[in-house]
Amino acid sequence: MSSKTVANSKTVANPDAAQRGLVTRFIGSRAVYHTIMIGFSIIFVVPMLWMVMSSFKTKREIFGSPFSLPKSLDFSVWTEAWERGNLGQYVLNSFFVTFVSVLAILVCSLFAAYAFSRFEFRFKNVLLGLFVLGLLLPVQSYLTAQSRLFDALYILDTRWALIIPYSGLGLALAVFLLKTYMDSLPKELFEAARMDGAGDMRILFSVVTPLMVPGIATVAIFSVLATWNEFLLSILYVVDDSLRTIPAGLLAFTGKYSTDYPTLFAALSIITIPMIAIYVVFHRQVIAGVTEGSVK
Amino acid sequence: MKPVRARTPYLLVLPAFALFAFVVLGPVLANTALSFADWSGTNAIKFVGFSNFTRAFRDDIYLMAYRNTFIYIALTLVFEVLVGLVLAGLVTARGRKTGFYRVAFFIPVILPMLVIAVLWSFVYSDDIGLINGALRGVGLDSLTRVWLGDPSTALIAVSLVSGWIYAGFYMAIFYAALTRIPNHVIEAATLDGATESQIFFRIKVPMIRPMIEVAILLCVTGAFQTFDLFYVMTNGGPDHATEIVTTYLVEVVFRFHDLGYGAALSTIMTAVVVTIGLVLVRLRGKDGGNGVEF
Repeated sequence: MSSKTVANSKTVANPDAAQRGLVTRFIGSRAVYHTIMIGFSIIFVVPMLWMVMSSFKTKREIFGSPFSLPKSLDFSVWTEAWERGNLGQYVLNSFFVTFVSVLAILVCSLFAAYAFSRFEFRFKNVLLGLFVLGLLLPVQSYLTAQSRLFDALYILDTRWALIIPYSGLGLALAVFLLKTYMDSLPKELFEAARMDGAGDMRILFSVVTPLMVPGIATVAIFSVLATWNEFLLSILYVVDDSLRTIPAGLLAFTGKYSTDYPTLFAALSIITIPMIAIYVVFHRQVIAGVTEGSVK
Repeated sequence: MKPVRARTPYLLVLPAFALFAFVVLGPVLANTALSFADWSGTNAIKFVGFSNFTRAFRDDIYLMAYRNTFIYIALTLVFEVLVGLVLAGLVTARGRKTGFYRVAFFIPVILPMLVIAVLWSFVYSDDIGLINGALRGVGLDSLTRVWLGDPSTALIAVSLVSGWIYAGFYMAIFYAALTRIPNHVIEAATLDGATESQIFFRIKVPMIRPMIEVAILLCVTGAFQTFDLFYVMTNGGPDHATEIVTTYLVEVVFRFHDLGYGAALSTIMTAVVVTIGLVLVRLRGKDGGNGVEF
């Protein structure tokens, strides 16, 4: 089928090539191209701009003139939202949970990936297969039993209620990715280190880890984002407000101030803007990290 | 390579495996066992055979949740993958400076889904909403509606937000694949008189076909796991019009405390997701990337 259409379009294209050229030149012109692209950008950016702008407006202005610019940039609503909403506590909790979880993921997965990539041992493929299974299964498919297990062990409603599952859930992908990266390191490197008398752990710390920095960075970016943004477990496993992470905290916040729009928009802006700023600075690494983590 | 000591590899794998077994493997096994039981979490566990499963297949809400999930999958294939492909095509059009757009389109991917869900609930809101505000502004008052409260628009409205988030993600994947196409291929086509759009549809898209298939796989299996958007924006309502498998599951387990039934629902869901995943992988493998449309 495709060869026929190609042939057809060639015979059609050639007679009025001049005219076609004009049309494509018009569509392909700088102005039109950028108009299309700016149109798309508006769809992406306008909701976020509206959020930030509305945080500086009064409730009446949000209702009456949704598209107007705010009259002044009065940050007092922001500080009020930060204090009344206990946002500082949520941010601290998120930092703590994310830091410990990602550290656990990186250390455990680096060890495991090293074993899977470099050594032959019994049950290797069975163990690796189990990790791959973990990649396939969504958390909802074992959530019921997991929540009961954590409840029985008195883990629920403590910091561990999030740190343990986040580390365990992130491991499968991390092991798999780091193993893939490690497989591509040249064999001679390890043999040479062995010749020089380095032991297994010495090779891991002095030879492998320095070479794996880009791969570890990818896994770290991926894990940080997944942990920082995780929502389902954060609302199910932690009820104590002083232990809540940002997503669960913000949800409680929206419940409390459901019609106080300026304060709500201020809270959302406070959480969003620093993330966007960090992303813009490191956008190359972030985009690469997120896409590689999902596709591999 | 042979380890210096035979036990080294096991010790290396141990921490990861212990954590993984505790968080994933144990619960998976327990969950499967629980599917055959009746339990509220406080009373004694009672073995009930397959009755949870037969109940599931007669549960109208559960069946509706599958219908909605499949509609959602179909919509996200368009709003996420197809739009992502178009965006990737636009940002790789030759001789353009497009870094700004690429960075901008990816922003929603990195933000907490909760923030986006709350923000878009406001965008769709009846009184302060941007969409109704814009419609009123241009005199189309008759088109305004409660987007998330109307059963006929709620599912599409949520799916559009999903597209808004992930179109940039698929664009980034396709962008990476497109930029790996060797330059001489494109140059040869240009010399033959192909236009930019012909080059895109006839050369670039077929060449990144494997990546498109991966994207479809990710999109379909990922759609099954979606929870945050639906939970925050509609929580399954109005009248179960946006009830999806995960929102119903959470309701059964954490609101009705019907743990055995909830476990059975997730066992069924796991079977469905794994089956679909395997079928898609099979379809990709069999024809070596030729002729199969899905």
